Amino acid sequence: MLRGSLAIWQRDMLILRRSIISELVAVVAYPLTIYLAFGIGMQGYIGLVDGAPYSLFIAPGLITMTAVNAAYNESVWSLWFHRRVQFTIESYRVTPISVSEIVIAKILSGFTHGIIKGCVVGLVIFAITPFRFPLEHLVQYLLFLIPGSAFFSCAGVISGTVMDKPETIGKVEAVLVMPLIFMSGLFFPLSSYPSTVIPWVRALPTTALFEGARRALVAGEMMPTAAVQISLSALLTFVAAVYIFRRKMSE
Amino acid sequence: MNTSALSIHTLTKAYGALTALDSFNLEVDQGSIFGLLGPNGAGKTTLIRILTTLMRQSSGSATIEGFDIFQSGQEIRRIIGVVSQENSLDRYLTARENLELHARLHGMERRLYAPRIDELLELMGLSGRQKDFPDTFSGGMQRRLVIARALVHLPRVLFLDEPTTGLDPQSRRAVWEYIRSLAGKMTIFLTTHYLEEAEQLCDRIAIMDHGKLIAIGSTQELKDHLNGATVYEIDFAEGAAHSAELLGNMPCVIDIKQIGNKVVVTLECWECLAEIVTALNGAPVRRISLQERTLEDVFISLTGEKVRE
Ligand SMILES: Nc1ncnc2c1ncn2[C@@H]1O[C@H](COP(=O)(O)OP(=O)(O)OP(=O)(O)O)[C@@H](O)[C@H]1O
Ligand SMILES: [Mg+2]
Repeated sequence: MLRGSLAIWQRDMLILRRSIISELVAVVAYPLTIYLAFGIGMQGYIGLVDGAPYSLFIAPGLITMTAVNAAYNESVWSLWFHRRVQFTIESYRVTPISVSEIVIAKILSGFTHGIIKGCVVGLVIFAITPFRFPLEHLVQYLLFLIPGSAFFSCAGVISGTVMDKPETIGKVEAVLVMPLIFMSGLFFPLSSYPSTVIPWVRALPTTALFEGARRALVAGEMMPTAAVQISLSALLTFVAAVYIFRRKMSE
Repeated sequence: MNTSALSIHTLTKAYGALTALDSFNLEVDQGSIFGLLGPNGAGKTTLIRILTTLMRQSSGSATIEGFDIFQSGQEIRRIIGVVSQENSLDRYLTARENLELHARLHGMERRLYAPRIDELLELMGLSGRQKDFPDTFSGGMQRRLVIARALVHLPRVLFLDEPTTGLDPQSRRAVWEYIRSLAGKMTIFLTTHYLEEAEQLCDRIAIMDHGKLIAIGSTQELKDHLNGATVYEIDFAEGAAHSAELLGNMPCVIDIKQIGNKVVVTLECWECLAEIVTALNGAPVRRISLQERTLEDVFISLTGEKVRE
């Protein structure tokens, strides 16, 4: 049944392979700049956060952020471009494959972009900074990174399906996606929030993702509720993405 | 035996308040080349989008090779090839990769599609450019590539929405030749704004406007539909204005136009010509010629001269 998804996903991976160097340079530049500016530049002013030097506190979050950002961006732009600019989605739709196969392929592609780019940024941070973690923590970490990337890829597919104008996509990213990422304990511990706000922030799937992923990577600690929360969110957005795309296509 | 490749019954599509397709009925024979003409906004693309399962009708029904478009979308997509009005080539894939992806989406295996793609590229004159990206192609080459893509899986019904728009006469003729070579092997349904194209290619032609079918038949049948009026062109050596005034007062002349030394008269029927000749006795006439009715005349007479919004 997923033959069509496989063909489209392989097409997307071929394109990624062709431009891998420029893609990776672009994707590494951003988290690395943040790392240098905040992690190194501000370190002296900030001191220890949750018992760790600031640069180490933010490192796992930067890896996670890169992955989910890449997943979201790939999905949203790819869907918009293939639907509105190149009309490739239309050319897929006159073949015997189903609409669900198309949307699943696009979700998978965004997800793969996220995982690959997250791993590369992880390697770079590992290579040029003193940030270290025991390798066995990686398994716990992946329990967050995988549903996290899936969640953002599905969210990207939804945005790329419902939004017809590129400027809308930029606005949604500025007012929704970036705040969600930045407010969920990437750059500061949740304890910095007023106590009345904390339960609300905790309810966000992104908080579960960034908190859980950092604890998993740094301390090898498992936060089961957070893992379940982000996994369930990923599942829900997956169902929503397939549903919304199918509806849009039957208009 | 049902020999209709396409059977359309009271097909209707409304976009909000606008009825783009209005109780449309049509039968297209298997193996024929069928041409659909109509001014901008007539509803041609809307009809093709519904038939190719890209869009749902508001009411009515249609079958392609016996499959209902609403219930058997997947079966239909297996047997149709589609060349849409906009180029939908993947500019990040080479020409060959575009065709390969399409073959894979049709579930074809490499040993089956590789030779087929070789053959199509050769036929479309694109073999030498198969590793290039469509961005580097001229409009005509891109269009030929889209047509090749629609043919990879050997469709039984081929839909072409303005296949030659924007092509130079050479490319257009190449595409025509290829379409003609397919005749009989599959049913071809095309839309076009080039009346010559319809005349050259199509066994049957339909003209539609405002979502409705307004005429259907072979080119000759459509021309015969025109009223009995005949148009003659008369060339004068001099004094055309004077003769035009004279002719303009005659009861059998419906319309008269003077352009330089030339006068174009529309007569009620060809029998009036004798009267005209008599009236012109002594005038310096160089030539009298009958203007052939063209498909364009039919088209304009049916759809009017006003440009569509
Ligand atoms: N998605 C849409 N939403 C609303 N109206 C539409 C949509 N698509 C087409 N229309 C309208 O439906 C009518 C028929 O359009 P269609 O594209 O089918 O015409 P066409 O005959 O293909 O024209 P052209 O020769 O310019 O390609 C037009 O009035 C058009 O404005
Ligand atoms: Mg059209």
